[in-house]
Amino acid sequence: MLRKILLYASLSTVFLLSLYACNKGKKKTDDTAALDRKPMLSHYADQYVLPGYDALIRDLNTLNTQAAAFTSTPNNSSLIALKNAWETAYLTWQTVDMLEFGATEEISLRSYMNTYPATESKIEANITAGNYNLETFGNKDAQGFPAVDYLINALDASGTIARFTTAANAAAYKTYLSDVIRKMQEKAITVKNNWVSGRNTFVDATGTDAAGGLSKMTNAVVLYYERYLRSGKVGYPVGAMTGVALPGHVEAYYSPELSKRLAIKALESFIAFYEGKNYDGTASTNGMKQYLSSIGTKDSDGTLMATVLSTSLTNGLTALQNLNGTLKDGVNTNRVAVLSVYDKLQLSVALLKVDMVSAFGISITYLDNDGD
Amino acid sequence: MIVASMLRFFAKGWIETLYINPGFYFKYYGFNWVSNWGNYTYWLFAICGISALSFALGLFYRISAVVLFLSFTYIELLDKTNYLNHYYFVSLVLFLMIFLPAHSNLALDNIRKPATQKRQVPLWTTASIRLLLGIVYVYAGLAKLNSDWLLEAMPLKLWLPAKNDLPLLGNLLNKTWVAYFFSWFGAAYDLSIPWLLFYKRTRIPAYLTVIAFHIATAILFPIGMFPYVMILSTLIFFPSAGIDAFWIKIKAILPSIPLAKHYNVYHYHPLAKRLTGIVFILFFTIQALLPWRYLCYKGTLFWTEEGYRFSWRVMLMEKMGYAQFVVKEEGSDRRVGINNNEFLSPNQEKMMSTQADFILQYAHFLAGHYKSMGWKNPKVHATIHVSVNGRRSVLYIDPNRDLAQEKDNFTHKDWITPFNDIIYGL
Repeated sequence: MLRKILLYASLSTVFLLSLYACNKGKKKTDDTAALDRKPMLSHYADQYVLPGYDALIRDLNTLNTQAAAFTSTPNNSSLIALKNAWETAYLTWQTVDMLEFGATEEISLRSYMNTYPATESKIEANITAGNYNLETFGNKDAQGFPAVDYLINALDASGTIARFTTAANAAAYKTYLSDVIRKMQEKAITVKNNWVSGRNTFVDATGTDAAGGLSKMTNAVVLYYERYLRSGKVGYPVGAMTGVALPGHVEAYYSPELSKRLAIKALESFIAFYEGKNYDGTASTNGMKQYLSSIGTKDSDGTLMATVLSTSLTNGLTALQNLNGTLKDGVNTNRVAVLSVYDKLQLSVALLKVDMVSAFGISITYLDNDGD
Repeated sequence: MIVASMLRFFAKGWIETLYINPGFYFKYYGFNWVSNWGNYTYWLFAICGISALSFALGLFYRISAVVLFLSFTYIELLDKTNYLNHYYFVSLVLFLMIFLPAHSNLALDNIRKPATQKRQVPLWTTASIRLLLGIVYVYAGLAKLNSDWLLEAMPLKLWLPAKNDLPLLGNLLNKTWVAYFFSWFGAAYDLSIPWLLFYKRTRIPAYLTVIAFHIATAILFPIGMFPYVMILSTLIFFPSAGIDAFWIKIKAILPSIPLAKHYNVYHYHPLAKRLTGIVFILFFTIQALLPWRYLCYKGTLFWTEEGYRFSWRVMLMEKMGYAQFVVKEEGSDRRVGINNNEFLSPNQEKMMSTQADFILQYAHFLAGHYKSMGWKNPKVHATIHVSVNGRRSVLYIDPNRDLAQEKDNFTHKDWITPFNDIIYGL
């Protein structure tokens, strides 16, 4: 009996050792290293997240500077400079909006930066009262890019300048503008610093369970695509699920010509993120697309699902770029076209949420919110 | 073992999340009457835990066995979202145990009534558990004989690389051939292990394989208690002589333990024996036939899952879905996109998205919900994309069909889209 156990144990040891040796010997010849998650997570942390937040902080600093210049000398040229700075920072925000995982999720950055539509009455009440706490949940729709949009774009140039010069509470407007921008800077800097200190934790969580970096990141970006890009920017305003258009819910409501550009920037950034581009736009080999390619799931005609997904996302982008007019008008006057953009965006949701997630061996942990 | 399981459920807060919080439960067909007890559901688990403890100690054995079987099974019947093959296995074993004299030695009942103490039980009693284990393994093995498992190494080809960050062997899991090796080894293991455990010459190495195999699965896959249930259960294949001698030695040190020292055999009352015989024959006939019922259905089993449950089909599929429901009022423009999260827990939603009977129950629930809100004849449509074993996701059901009109029964659901591929095998 004992001899048999020993024989059995030694046989299995030899087997395991040979597996291991075999593995070491073959390491150089194949490319399964692309399936390692650590290089992928490092890529995202070092080449996308950190430089992305640096860019956001840089553009928010410029916004702050221009706001200070405008409030000290409110005139046409300082207003134009401020508007430009706001637009630039808002476009940059679209490149990092999807990153609501890790340190960003803890701060819930998006809710401070881009809760829209802004509620005018709340903003006005805050300005009149002169004491407000921008940290509270109730004030999420009275700050961020949408609040600045209201402050500087709701009226025409002379009206806006009057608001900050001759209006009875002009000083309070100035204070509010600067407080809102400073809150955005503060939040962005906190997130960036927390990412610097939490970077290793994120990169080292190589598991595929719900606590793993891949799962957190994938859940965050898929959630972003479904809820904030597809629904928030297009589906909700056009009333894709309800049949009722809500033009008041477009992003950058007071700058209608910007809404579509923001959506395009967001989708371009999402595609770049998926395809593993570095933040500066150069290519890398460590993205989600490469990882999905290495897993090797294929469409029935043999095309890699990684490619199918790229094509589908790009089709959505093309449809969005080809849309004429503004979204704000389009949701009422150009419904068929806007709905067809929504449908194109929708086609990628199943690919992201089912095909990619299933191939990654992770699960969707976020709660659905399709009721738009 | 079950006591530990109940405590684990409690400790993880699962009682609340799984059985109390959801506003809607997916019932088994014919078991709609099973409902939770609100906050008293904790008592249900307590009853189950206490009866498990007295069952294990051999105190009031028959009553404990019946209560344990009923309470455990009741809990499982509350919501089929939580169906797991090993819970089903535990229920079956508990059912058999009601009829078996597991209290005849080393049981507190023997202290209570010394006359109940017997040193030996008839061979068929332990053989029945062995047979059930044999059925579980062999059917699990037969289910693996399909083209996805053997020729594509699916779903292991997807699952193994997900664990490639394990120390030492992690890197191996990236290799395609390892997925094939695991697939073929798993099938061979399931098909052969009952026989190897049965023969004395191969029993010890076979049992070591059982331990190694189930520990490996415990490390690689999130399957809870199952590996440990199987490792302990398969001990039944060992003859009792060795353990008997061991206890005799223990008794020399601890004379108070209720251990039988004299050779005597547990005898059934002739009538009880006959009744048990009939029950067991029926039981095993059903067990042997149930896994084949899928043959009565049209369509691919992995796609429709008609006849999939209760058939020892374990770890066979990576299936994922994405379901969007729209409810429309008849004769008006009123319509609403459903936020599944409003009605279902994440786990329920996950299960619902890939299984037709869940989809239908949910659709009926939605129709009822909107009717109660005053909608006239609500129509329920669903757009559902499902992917099986790495295939591209496609429409799972006909999005034009009004699910509120479809009946739930055991016939084929013709609103399921035909599978666009072929999976060969059993």
